Amino acid sequence: MLKLIIEKELREILGSTKFVVTFSVCATLILIAFYVGGRSYDVSRSDYEAAVAENVKQMAGLTDWGRIDHRVFLEPQPLGALVTGIANDIGRTTEVRTRGELNSENSRFNEDPLFAVFRFLDLEFIFGIVLSLFAILFGYDAINGEKERGTLRLSFANAVPRDKYILGKLAGSFLALSVPLLIPILIGCLLLPILGVPMESGDWQRLAMIIACGYLYLGVFLALSIFISAMTEHSSSSFLLLLVVWIIAVLIVPRTAVLVSGRAVDVPTMDEINFEKNRISDQLRREDDSKLRAYWSENPQTGTETRDQMMTRFRNYWSELADAREQEVRALSARLSEDRRNRERVQQRIALGISRISPTSVFSLAATDLAGTSLELQQQYQDQVSQYRDDYTRFIEEKTGGSGGFWFSGGSTDEAEEEPIDPYELPVFEFDAPTAATLVSKSLLDLGLLTIFNIVFFVGAFVAFLRYDVR
Amino acid sequence: MEDTRTDSPLLEAINLTKRYEDGTLALDDVSFKVYPGEVYAMLGGNGAGKTTTINLFLNFIEPTSGEARVDGIVTHVDPLAAKSKLAYVSENVMLYPNFTALQNLDYFARLGGKTSYSKDDYRRVLTRVGLEEEAHDRRLKGFSKGMRQKCGIAIAILKDAPAILLDEPTSGLDPKAGLEFTRLLQSLRDEGRAILMSTHDIFRAKDISNTVGIMNRGKIVMQKTSAELEGVDLEQIYVEYMAGYMDDAGVAAEEVA
Ligand SMILES: Nc1ncnc2c1ncn2[C@@H]1O[C@H](COP(=O)(O)OP(=O)(O)OP(=O)(O)O)[C@@H](O)[C@H]1O
Ligand SMILES: [Mg+2]
Repeated sequence: MLKLIIEKELREILGSTKFVVTFSVCATLILIAFYVGGRSYDVSRSDYEAAVAENVKQMAGLTDWGRIDHRVFLEPQPLGALVTGIANDIGRTTEVRTRGELNSENSRFNEDPLFAVFRFLDLEFIFGIVLSLFAILFGYDAINGEKERGTLRLSFANAVPRDKYILGKLAGSFLALSVPLLIPILIGCLLLPILGVPMESGDWQRLAMIIACGYLYLGVFLALSIFISAMTEHSSSSFLLLLVVWIIAVLIVPRTAVLVSGRAVDVPTMDEINFEKNRISDQLRREDDSKLRAYWSENPQTGTETRDQMMTRFRNYWSELADAREQEVRALSARLSEDRRNRERVQQRIALGISRISPTSVFSLAATDLAGTSLELQQQYQDQVSQYRDDYTRFIEEKTGGSGGFWFSGGSTDEAEEEPIDPYELPVFEFDAPTAATLVSKSLLDLGLLTIFNIVFFVGAFVAFLRYDVR
Repeated sequence: MEDTRTDSPLLEAINLTKRYEDGTLALDDVSFKVYPGEVYAMLGGNGAGKTTTINLFLNFIEPTSGEARVDGIVTHVDPLAAKSKLAYVSENVMLYPNFTALQNLDYFARLGGKTSYSKDDYRRVLTRVGLEEEAHDRRLKGFSKGMRQKCGIAIAILKDAPAILLDEPTSGLDPKAGLEFTRLLQSLRDEGRAILMSTHDIFRAKDISNTVGIMNRGKIVMQKTSAELEGVDLEQIYVEYMAGYMDDAGVAAEEVA
């Protein structure tokens, strides 16, 4: 009985013109997503390699480690091309200096606004929009449409248990939609190595999980559609209702979540923080200036001192002050950044929490977690860069004899050794992406949520149909 | 009225009453029996309660009181067992528009528990109900009402059930198909099936049924066997009942009784 109903459901859906048309559109979009993803990875990879080479090249001929202009870059991740997440929004280039702020710039969108426009072609977005619409289109009239067409009545004139019927319907329509989708997805996967995306086994594993998430997501909307179809009298009303739900889940909730969390937690802007830092650092400088003046008048040139000796003493004092000030400013800066980061984290947590009432957000979060392009990417990158900065600073200090390229250092003494530096001596920065296992474990919460959504709507559809008036 | 048979009825309504949620009393204490090899015709105007009666036999709705029985099984107690003994043709047969006639027959036959039919069996039945050969492999989408009705009847035949419920089965059939249907009904009856049929077609009702019940406002106001109707102008009686019942139910009922 169950098999018969599943078979019938498969045949009914697959044989319809509606299916042929919508499936073609979905398949095309999915293929495009893979293709564009593969291509854009290729472009990002060449950009990255060119930038790394250029960085070394522009140091050629320099003789002073203290004067180099060093940049590090975020390496593109293979799955980032399919599920861009924030990968295109964050700065991928960071100028590393021994002092001062580390600022990342040159996001993909900044450089190439076209990408901002075409971001919709990434796999996550296509799944998010297309799979939900696909499910709604075939689920909205699953029950009430059969009633309107009169076939439900005839079916239930037979000894058909209702639970079997609804199970068959849910399973059959899920199979009818999901199995054909495997074709473009598999072709897309084959495209990746052809397009030169270096997929490793961990990447494949994560990609498989992203696709599985997509299927869970499809299941959520399908079960929801059948549920609503069993709760409403007319297919026109279930369609309308589902459209509203779709707009809320796909378009409104994710945006509202950001707004609400913005209200709930006050995160100072970067400008505000910089303003505060500058204010305090100016204040410290003024204090130092007066200290310097006081030092000057309190410790004038003694009789035994030459003028040069006095200048050295003075310069040392200045250097001491500057070092102390730098340290203080750095500590303050760290404190402000840390504070901002904490607030930001709270804000993100609220935003993500709220947005999780929408299956679309849950799917996005799971997919970006798996792809390693979630919000955490930015933090990971920044942390690694600032760690790298420590190595870099140590290296430069060694090379320059302690003053780390500070403006006051250098001077005429160095002019003797005009030997050019070797940029390859620099410590190498390479972004160390989290392991597949770490990423998978991060996605588990959202995978669980998708499963719960499925169960809830499945049970809903099941119970609603047991009470359904099949006349 | 004969009730001297020793075998048991296949279809039986016992004090069947249905009041809908909105308060409409659609059936009021209706009782009748249909034995194997018999046709019971329910006549009655629109809204008389014919479809409600059939819905109760199919357990699409639950009775307010009384019971409907199929081969002794109370439908609202064990609906699946009851339905396995019932075939059904609705007023307006609707099938899967994207399936061909054969595919529809195949699906519904299997749903009815019949898995051993071959394509030829389906074609034979479709020919028997008068559906032209060329339509057998066409999708239902383009079928006329009468063609769909024929498919519906074919499905009921394929189920091979002891009892058959027909809700205005001839609506939409052309005269030729109507005549063929009458023959078909006779042969089904002669095979020993119990048939409950609602209809507006007085002549056909008189032709093929063993018992005719006239229904009005949820009550069976007259019930006569074919023997009792011999030489009687059923149309006359029917119209009188309808008119009389509407003016003054009591008087009309007295006159005929
Ligand atoms: N779901 C319902 N809710 C409330 N009242 C109903 C419902 N279905 C039918 N009725 C009422 O029950 C009465 C009997 O309806 P029924 O459909 O059984 O008539 P019928 O004899 O089949 O009529 P027709 O010849 O037009 O098919 C009518 O008054 C109708 O309005
Ligand atoms: Mg009716």
